[in-house]
Amino acid sequence: MAQRHVSDAMADRAEDILLWLEDNLRWFLTLPALGLLAAFFLYPIGRAVALSAYQFDGTGREFVGIDNYVAILTQGAFWDSLWVTAKFMIVAVSLEVLLGIGIAFVLNSRVRFRGLVQTIGLVPLVISPTVVALLWQLLYRNGGVLDSLVQPITGGPVPWLSSPSIALWAIVIPDVWQMTPLVTLIVLAGLQSVPDHVREAAMMDGAGRVRRLLDVTLPYIRELVVLVVILRVIGTMRVFAKVFVLTRGGPAGSTDVVSMALYREAFRYGNYGRASTMALLLLAIALLITYTFAKVSEVKF
Amino acid sequence: MATTSLPGRGLGRALLDRTERWYDRLDEYGLVPGLAHVVALVFVVWTVFPVYWMVSGSLRTRRELLATPPQWLSTALTLENYSELFVQRPAFYEYLLNSVVITIGSTALAVLFGTAATYGFVKYEYPYDLGRFHLPFLVLATRFLPPIVTVIPLYVIFDNVGLLNTQLGLTLAYAAFNIPFVVWMLKGFFAELPDCIIEAAVLDGHTEIGAFFKIVLPMVRPGLLAATIFTIINAWNELLFAVILTSNTRAQTLPVALATFKTAYTIQWELLTVAGTIAMAPVLAFAFLVREKLLRGFTMGAVQ
Repeated sequence: MAQRHVSDAMADRAEDILLWLEDNLRWFLTLPALGLLAAFFLYPIGRAVALSAYQFDGTGREFVGIDNYVAILTQGAFWDSLWVTAKFMIVAVSLEVLLGIGIAFVLNSRVRFRGLVQTIGLVPLVISPTVVALLWQLLYRNGGVLDSLVQPITGGPVPWLSSPSIALWAIVIPDVWQMTPLVTLIVLAGLQSVPDHVREAAMMDGAGRVRRLLDVTLPYIRELVVLVVILRVIGTMRVFAKVFVLTRGGPAGSTDVVSMALYREAFRYGNYGRASTMALLLLAIALLITYTFAKVSEVKF
Repeated sequence: MATTSLPGRGLGRALLDRTERWYDRLDEYGLVPGLAHVVALVFVVWTVFPVYWMVSGSLRTRRELLATPPQWLSTALTLENYSELFVQRPAFYEYLLNSVVITIGSTALAVLFGTAATYGFVKYEYPYDLGRFHLPFLVLATRFLPPIVTVIPLYVIFDNVGLLNTQLGLTLAYAAFNIPFVVWMLKGFFAELPDCIIEAAVLDGHTEIGAFFKIVLPMVRPGLLAATIFTIINAWNELLFAVILTSNTRAQTLPVALATFKTAYTIQWELLTVAGTIAMAPVLAFAFLVREKLLRGFTMGAVQ
């Protein structure tokens, strides 16, 4: 080595340090990441549990035990926002998954320019949900593009974002616009991984086209579909940016999803205790849904 | 691989047969590829139009942008709105700068820590199966948390330690959020590397650390690039944490500026289209530059 001019003692010492570093390398590799994750996930969740036992007001906080839980579960507001989230989730996820799978099957068949279509599919996926909401805000503008498209049917402008019966669906559409390509891309990748010989064997057995699709291809990509459904269920459960930009939960609470209700409770009313309680209940629901999906479908992570 | 049992007779069978006959008839007339192309075309137009409308809107005069009925194609393009944005909203520079600083910082941290941790998990032994199973599982599980759960206590914690309204606070938060993505995307790459490569390098006189940088890292470069771009896009686009953990131009990012654009009584549509276009431009440029890697990134973890 090129360290002849360094004294032997120092070289030994340096080597000792290096050896010690190498012996413990595995911990140095993982601890920074684990530390950051602990600081930003585990510790905050612990704090949320602690916060949920307090009632906040203008002057300070008071320990109230499980009163927050009792209040939230017995009053209607939290259930209302859960119901709004559930409606959003069910409609958005169904549309995204069905459309996404349909488009993937079409693209997998005999479309030229498949690569181009795949690239186009990336466009909504990389755009910020905030910008996606703005794109649609522009389209929903009173007398804007969508109004002039539906005019022949509806006879006039549609109150896209100001009618309680329409507003939620006017947020579903941008979500479907943005996330259907994710389903398409993942399912398409799965379809292309179905080995030809499997399909050929089914053909030899006399299975027709539809039969092959349902009996051979679909079971082959079943795990992928389950994964995509979980991803989208979790994704729609946390929807925030689109609601925040388009309606802020209104009109008349018709788009007041859980994350919006939580945001208001904590940062408009300053009640971190109540908000933390709602957050923990949401976490419990999210874990339950993920676990159920994984169990029912026997998917391993 | 389990197979689903399908109705083999009765109504189900009849429906299957009928669908199949329809499909064959369409095929006979050569309509199947045509239909597929129609679907593909509708998909492309539906996906591209909103983006086109905002970008082209940013290049139009206000009057042309707001014309009823809409003018599908613009006759006169102008860059006026772009200069107008910076005149009317001078803080826009600061939002932009904050976004750039926080995105670069958090990406560097997430990729560095995430790569190191993944390598540690995959290539080293830990007691109690920690490295093989428990710790990676814990890391991946954080991806399933609704972020709103952590952001409320984080606000309280940040308030206590003075991290509210700082670039450092958001940088650390975004780094933490993206580490699971990096681990998730790199796990497969590291697992595929045969152990003997590293052993051979060590026998050749490299230190373990040297072998990692000289031999291992170059071999996982595609995964590293994909993970980096994913992290950049995530950090650039994030709204929830930025809205809650910042309240002034010291650390507010572009998405926050955009989300609060319409708090004024009337929306200045022509400025909004410019701001939206500026926020989209970098991620779209990235998407086109590295579309192969990105496609792989979006699908890889799922397909493995």
